[in-house]
Amino acid sequence: MTIKIAVIQFPGSNCDLDTLHVLNNVISNGIEAELIWHNHFKEAQFDGVVLPGGFSFGDYLRSGIIAAHSPALDEARIMLKDGKPIIGICNGFQILAEAQFLPGALLRNDSLKFICKWVNIKVENNKTAFTSKMNIGDVLAIPIAHGEGRYYTDKLKELEENNQIVFRYSTENGELTEQANPNGSLESIAGVCNLEQNCLGLMPHPERASEPILSPKQTMHGRLFFESMVEFIKRRVS
Amino acid sequence: MPKVLSNGDELDVDLTEPEIKQIKNLLERDPTITEWGMFDVMHSEHCSYKSSRPKLKLFEDAEKNYDYVLAGPGQDAGVIDIGDGFALAFRIESHNHPSAIEPYHGAATGIGGIIRDILCMGVRPIALLDPLRFGPLKGNPHSQWLFKYVVKGIADYGNCTGIPTIGGEVEFDKSFESNCLVNVACIGLGTIEDFKHAPSKAYNPGDYVILMGGSTGRDGIHGVTFASRTLTEMSEADRPAVQIGDPFTKKMIIEATLEAVKTGYVRGLKDLGGGGLSCALSELTGDGGTGGDIDMSKIFTREPGMNSFEVMLSESQERMAFIVKPVGLETILEAFRKFEMAHAVIGRTDDSKVLKVKDGDNLVVNLPATALSDAPTIPREEKRPEYLDKLIAQQTPEPTKDLEEIIYELIASENICSKEWVYRQYDHEVGVRSVVKCGEADSGVLRIIGTNKFLAASVGINSKHCYLNPYEGAKGGLVEICGNVIANGAKPMAMVNCCNFGNPEIPESFWYFSHAVKGMADFCTQLRIPIIGGNVSFYNEDEVTKTAIKPTPVIMIVGIIEGKENIITLPFKQTGDDILLIGDTKAELGGSEYHSVIYDLEGGIPPHVDEKNIKATWDFIFELYKKNLVKANHDVNKGGLIITIAEMCFKNNLGADLDFNGCYNDKLRDDEFLFSESVGRFIIETQPKDYNKIMEIAENLNISVKKVGIVIANPEIYIKGLKGNYVKLDVNKMKNLYEATIPNLMEI
Repeated sequence: MTIKIAVIQFPGSNCDLDTLHVLNNVISNGIEAELIWHNHFKEAQFDGVVLPGGFSFGDYLRSGIIAAHSPALDEARIMLKDGKPIIGICNGFQILAEAQFLPGALLRNDSLKFICKWVNIKVENNKTAFTSKMNIGDVLAIPIAHGEGRYYTDKLKELEENNQIVFRYSTENGELTEQANPNGSLESIAGVCNLEQNCLGLMPHPERASEPILSPKQTMHGRLFFESMVEFIKRRVS
Repeated sequence: MPKVLSNGDELDVDLTEPEIKQIKNLLERDPTITEWGMFDVMHSEHCSYKSSRPKLKLFEDAEKNYDYVLAGPGQDAGVIDIGDGFALAFRIESHNHPSAIEPYHGAATGIGGIIRDILCMGVRPIALLDPLRFGPLKGNPHSQWLFKYVVKGIADYGNCTGIPTIGGEVEFDKSFESNCLVNVACIGLGTIEDFKHAPSKAYNPGDYVILMGGSTGRDGIHGVTFASRTLTEMSEADRPAVQIGDPFTKKMIIEATLEAVKTGYVRGLKDLGGGGLSCALSELTGDGGTGGDIDMSKIFTREPGMNSFEVMLSESQERMAFIVKPVGLETILEAFRKFEMAHAVIGRTDDSKVLKVKDGDNLVVNLPATALSDAPTIPREEKRPEYLDKLIAQQTPEPTKDLEEIIYELIASENICSKEWVYRQYDHEVGVRSVVKCGEADSGVLRIIGTNKFLAASVGINSKHCYLNPYEGAKGGLVEICGNVIANGAKPMAMVNCCNFGNPEIPESFWYFSHAVKGMADFCTQLRIPIIGGNVSFYNEDEVTKTAIKPTPVIMIVGIIEGKENIITLPFKQTGDDILLIGDTKAELGGSEYHSVIYDLEGGIPPHVDEKNIKATWDFIFELYKKNLVKANHDVNKGGLIITIAEMCFKNNLGADLDFNGCYNDKLRDDEFLFSESVGRFIIETQPKDYNKIMEIAENLNISVKKVGIVIANPEIYIKGLKGNYVKLDVNKMKNLYEATIPNLMEI
């Protein structure tokens, strides 16, 4: 079967081509990914959707808020209800949080500066549409690049009880320390999912961690996200 | 400043009396006030290169002499053919004056400008590099303010446009205290076809002229003439001449432009930078041998009531001018609509060779298209500064501190220490091309997807060396920047430069410029490196303190690495490996960090460049690469060889057991050997089994190669074989000092 994935381009998205490259040239495996301009997006034609990183609408007003009102999100909301997989990476996560697909908000980094570096994240939930190829406790090497990635929620307890915390920043050995938390996120949270677990948002960039040549330690942990998505879609349709 | 009059309006212009006369003779009438403004801008030093042009003729014709050079100096960017159907475009530019007044927007719009230069070659911008210069940070809140906001301006703009900042350089020196230097470089990648679709001229009469992007406002009016004057206390009042950047619009312009170029209907393309519409339209028609008929009322403005003078001279950011085939007009407009970019058809080209701009019924501009670009050159006097002999004669004092103490002080010094604080703020990974990342090597390395090629890029110059000898300093800069890409395994392909100097009307300042240009020209001709572009920024001096900046001919080199297996990185990798020093160390401490940090001295004998020896050294390195004999490579640079070795220990937490016995000339003092900044040297890591093979190659090429030690597991550096005492250094302590300096000064 051909798996159709939409990579949504908002004005100002800038990881769209990178994500497309990884889906079509690195993962491939039956995937046919396509760039779709945000107000041309029609959900029925796709099995899954990626909201890529970047600065949608220049991050003006507040990161993700303008894109959250794009018609693309109305389409995505239908997919959300249908149980199709939706992932928001970096700015995509900010958009999903603003559109209330996901709980919480992304605040300015505690250093007040943009940070670009490789970090480690620990897997807390491998039941989501994007983490089935991972084990709980696995530590993934993956880069971040954002100015507003400090996760905050006032419903921490609920998230914990519902198993919605998917990733936390950690050391290489999986310890949660203040130093390993690059932006001051609450409880080191790097990624969360919705209750139904078909929608994931995270600040780190899996598409930048999918090829050994780009990784400081020649890892390719980013592929696991997309491979899990493929598996999820295959299971869903069969 | 002379005044010109037209119809009761008067205008202060930076034109000379002979220029004013020449203009009137050419037109056989008094220009309109708008035309005066256009001449004023286009004849400014910044646009016309009137002082520098005669000297820049020393650079050989790159397009003619190198078959892989597709575009050379005089174009918006230089372009080279790298094989496999791909072309690289690159250019470097200064944005010094605006950044000295308004560091955030000054730096941001500098990035905006250089991106447009690359874009108008029809290719996608894929990398930024920023060489920056400020006054020392320590105890200097003004320098800290400039540094902080220049970096933030670059980060906010570059990050938003999705172009990774893959490298740069920061130098701190008193001479840059009030006149900081913000140079910006950009590299673009496309197919040869993409490049061919976007000539920067309007060569066909009857085509449409379209303006796309940001609206035209009152910001930046006369920014160019402002850049061609020295900074004075009045400069604060020039703040409206600094433009405001909008990286979001820029991102959309990039996408809309590339989409338009792909249609094949674009026949000419030009960005609006210095000089605004005046510059773009006169260059498009002038260079293309056509004329143009422009309707000013079609130009969308940000504020009502702008007159023709303001519209033609506005330097509002984020604008592009397109020359479009009539048959493709609707397709192009559709592309602009998709990206929701404002646009307007503002006129058509014709065969009149005259540029006409109508404001209602008034013809406000009616000039021969080439008139504006034919600024006369001005011969400048040059004179070697008298203070130089005394400076060069300065002797290195006898050290009063232990060598350990000196080395720890050097590694923590502002010019040597880690610049991580800077590059952490830059997205250096977007684009999924960054294979060797900031801080990991001497240059940034990007893969070129679809080929087995990698590009390596580096920028910089040692202004302290240039201050003592601009000719040798410029050559030394080339040796070092080429050395950076070579250390990564790349062959240097082409060079662009950004000449930052003082007031060309002062003979001593012009002497520096003239000799630096000659140094670059001589070196590049001999080593066969095409110079494919350049930028000159004069008037970098501060009238309040009466000081000129140190001469700073920044050099950028782009090289190509063939194959992933040929990428070499900097860190030591294996305990027991040999550490080899390649090249001769001479008593060349003039302008060194050692002199400056330890003794507060600026003088001494600066490094001398022997091109034959450099050529042989490079041949030697490439011969070793070919035989796979090199495991790590780092060129010897600021602070000298011991700093180089320490930097190679950091990443993998290794140490070095060094024995310098027999490695240096008896006449050299220990400190001269350790801290000399003689150019053209490398430290490489090799396997002991290959030693004889390497020495044989060295002998054949007549290269000085000395085994100076071995890599050890213990993170310490032991130095034996000096004339004085045995030295022992703690690598972790050095690393901590190296990393702490800038955060300690900036994070208060």
